[in-house]
Amino acid sequence: MDHSAQMGMSTHMGMSDMNHSSTMAPSQHHTTSSGSHGSMMMMPMSFYFGFKKVEVLFSGLMINTAGEMAGAFVAVFLLAMFYEGLKIARESLLRKSQVSIRYNSMPVPGPNGTILMETHKTVGQQMLSFPHLLQTVLHIIQVVISYFLMLIFMTYNGYLCIAVAAGAGTGYFLFSWKKAVVVDITEHCH
Amino acid sequence: MAMHFIFSDEVVLLFDFWSVHTPAGMAISVLVVLLLAVLYESLKVGKARLLHQALMSLSIPTSQQLIEETDQDSSSDSLPDSRSHLRWFLCHFGQSLLHIAQVVIGYFMMLAVMSYNTWIFFGVVLGSGVGYYLAYPLLSMT
Repeated sequence: MDHSAQMGMSTHMGMSDMNHSSTMAPSQHHTTSSGSHGSMMMMPMSFYFGFKKVEVLFSGLMINTAGEMAGAFVAVFLLAMFYEGLKIARESLLRKSQVSIRYNSMPVPGPNGTILMETHKTVGQQMLSFPHLLQTVLHIIQVVISYFLMLIFMTYNGYLCIAVAAGAGTGYFLFSWKKAVVVDITEHCH
Repeated sequence: MAMHFIFSDEVVLLFDFWSVHTPAGMAISVLVVLLLAVLYESLKVGKARLLHQALMSLSIPTSQQLIEETDQDSSSDSLPDSRSHLRWFLCHFGQSLLHIAQVVIGYFMMLAVMSYNTWIFFGVVLGSGVGYYLAYPLLSMT
C-alpha cells in the first residue's frame, strides 16, 4: 500500500500528496518489499520538512519531536563545522611538518649546446614518522565524517540539509581565514 | 529504489514538483542538471579568485606572483590597515557564501546521480567537463 509506506515521508505540501503518490508509483513499485529491517519506511527521494520518525544514520537514532529535531540540527551543524576545521587543521599540520627537503640535480641541454643543471626540490614526510601517522589518523576521521555528512544529506530532510550547509559555511568562515595557499580545486565535492 | 543505472524517461529529481514523465521533460532536466554542474565548477574558480584578491589586499605574495617575479626585489608596501582589513573581510565573507553555495550544489548533484537515471548521470558528467573547460582558463587571469 503506497500510502502506508509513505507514512514516514511527512511533506508539508498536502495538496500535492495525491499526484505525488501517482507519480511516485510507477518508478518505485518495489519499495515496500525492499524496506530496511527495523523500520517500515521507504527512503524519500525528494526534499521534505518534518520531524516525525526521522531516522538519522543509525537504527537507534530516531527523531520524533521538535525538540529532538532541534538537538539534531545543532549536532549536525557542529559536525559540519568540525569537518571544515579538520580540513584546515590537516593542511596547517602538513605545512608545519614538511621539514625534510631533498634536492636532486640532473643535467639538461640548454641553448647553444651547453649543459645546464636543473635542480629539483621535493618536500615530503617519512612514512614511519609521527606527523605522517597523525595525518593518516586525521585522514580516516575526515573520510568517515564526510561520508556521515553525505548520508545525513541523503535523508532528504530539509532541516538536516540546511544544518549541513550552514555548518559548512560557518566552519569555512571561522577556520579558513588563515589559508594562505590557493585552494586545491581538483578536490571533488569539497 | 532501484540500485542500478536505468534508462528511463521518468524520474523525480530532488523536489516533489520536479517530476519528469516525457522525453522533452527529461531533455530539459538533463540540461538543467548540466548547467548546475557548470555552475559548480565555476564556483570553485570563483572562490579561488576571491582568495587571490583577499591575499592581494593584504600584500601577501601568492605562489603565482612568486613564480612570476623577476630578479628585482618586490617591495612590499603595506596599505592603510583599516581599508585593507575591510577589503579582506569582504573577500572572506564572499568566499564563505560561495562555499555554502558550492556545498549545497555539490550535494544536489550527488542526489541527482543517486536517482540512478543514466541520462541525468550523463548530464552531470558532461556538465562537469564543460564547466571545467570553460572556467579554468579564467583561473590564471589576474
